[in-house]
Amino acid sequence: MNQLRAELLKIRSTRTTIGLLLGLIALALLFTILTCTLSPMDQFVTEQDQSSLLSFGSIAGVFAALAGVMLFTSEYRFGTIRPTSLFNPNRSRLFATKITAGVLSGLVFGVIGEGLVFSIGLMILKIRGVPILMTGANEIELVVGAIIGTALWGAIGVALGSIVPNQVGAVISLLAWGFVVENLVFGLLPKIGRFLPVHAADSMMGPIQDKLLPGNAATAVVIAWAVVLSLAGVELLKRRDVS
Amino acid sequence: MTYVVQSDSLSKRYGEVLAVDDLSFAIEAGTITGFLGPNGAGKSTTLRMLLGLARPTSGQSTVFGSPYDQLKTPARRIGAVLEATDFHPGRSGRDHLRTLSWAVGIPDTRVDEVLALVELQSAAKRRVKGYSLGMRQRLGLAAALLGDPDLLVLDEPANGLDPEGVRWLRDFLRDFASGGRTVLISSHVLAEIAQTVDQVLIINHGRLVTESTLDELTARVGGAVRVQSPQLDSLAEALQREGIVTTRSNDHVLLAQGTTKEHVGDVALAAGVAIHELVTEGSSLEEVFLDLTSGTAPQ
Repeated sequence: MNQLRAELLKIRSTRTTIGLLLGLIALALLFTILTCTLSPMDQFVTEQDQSSLLSFGSIAGVFAALAGVMLFTSEYRFGTIRPTSLFNPNRSRLFATKITAGVLSGLVFGVIGEGLVFSIGLMILKIRGVPILMTGANEIELVVGAIIGTALWGAIGVALGSIVPNQVGAVISLLAWGFVVENLVFGLLPKIGRFLPVHAADSMMGPIQDKLLPGNAATAVVIAWAVVLSLAGVELLKRRDVS
Repeated sequence: MTYVVQSDSLSKRYGEVLAVDDLSFAIEAGTITGFLGPNGAGKSTTLRMLLGLARPTSGQSTVFGSPYDQLKTPARRIGAVLEATDFHPGRSGRDHLRTLSWAVGIPDTRVDEVLALVELQSAAKRRVKGYSLGMRQRLGLAAALLGDPDLLVLDEPANGLDPEGVRWLRDFLRDFASGGRTVLISSHVLAEIAQTVDQVLIINHGRLVTESTLDELTARVGGAVRVQSPQLDSLAEALQREGIVTTRSNDHVLLAQGTTKEHVGDVALAAGVAIHELVTEGSSLEEVFLDLTSGTAPQ
């Protein structure tokens, strides 16, 4: 618990995570307000349309993953990995602490991102007189899925940061994978692509889509990715010298 | 004999480069030991292995009898400063210390204590990016002191310090060690730490070159002990009986070759000779250091 408090202080005591959080808030507000107010009414006539719109909060996953990446890569970039390792010589425990901190910060990103999009989006649609077709259960599933998915992205980010300690390399790897590689693979080989983390998370955090895995299977796949990457991350952390 | 630090045939290889080669030494409690060698000699690599940051290729090291990573809360027994730049520039000095102290359950009152000890209270809430190099060195030292350790390990702590900072560091280390605690301090400049240390370990190309007190070191390479006494004849005879070569510098001063001031003092006491001055001199320490580190072939 002491180590977790210290990790959470690291997150709070610099402007990086606050900056990411403000970026998420700005993006979520901008997208939601513009889309909900300017789009024609006929774009919100089905439950699928509304779910798609209100699941934009899942963009918080990108921010949570970036915050997670920073948890490790900042330590290497600024050399704090040395004192951190001296005070926390058990590297498995250090990794577990950072993963927990990544999940917790991911939960915060998820609650804020999805909370903003969902509440403001729903409010604007109601003001515009759009009949809300989503049931309460669907709404809960959407919100909870997005928040849990964002927390898992926080963990994946931490694991990636341990695997690729170079900050620029890790951030580029994350963004290139999410925005380029997976889309290419999914476009060419959707049966394989749906098992990749971004597309599995899309299914977990958004409305059901034909080519994607069903919700529960998608959740299991995202968890499996988080576990596999974490195992790789902790093993590399244990083997790697701190120079 | 109580050894605080022990290195047993420690080696570290990075690809083709043998950075540390079969290095064995031991450091007693209550000493200030200078760990010397030219740049690239393997000092930092050795310290990292001692502190569990780097894994030895072979051999082992212990601190207080155990490998560093097997000690329970080592930060409460060992404090270390390896780089002067190990800070997040956007974090305040106080928060930097708290990210470390909280991890091992050290209260904030101790954070404030060490900030006062290194004279950084007034800058504690400023972001580290606004700190001078000397302030960063002192913040690193504050982090090392958080656990009130019995052993301090410092890697080139005087690098970049102005003369005032070097003097502050020297006074601080003397004060720290005066309570029976142990310091291991690395440097590539012997003169920088010569006034601070009791003994030296000199390595070059990863190998131990010598392990001795400063006086022994100076004497071994042709230094001399300068003695001033009103009974110079009696002292010269007593020293010559011990096989020590002496030469007169003037009517009151004698130079004893190839010995230590402790030995000369003991001989004088046994002979009942009064001594007014006893100083090791001869080759400069830098000459000694360069002499010792210039002969080992690289791996």
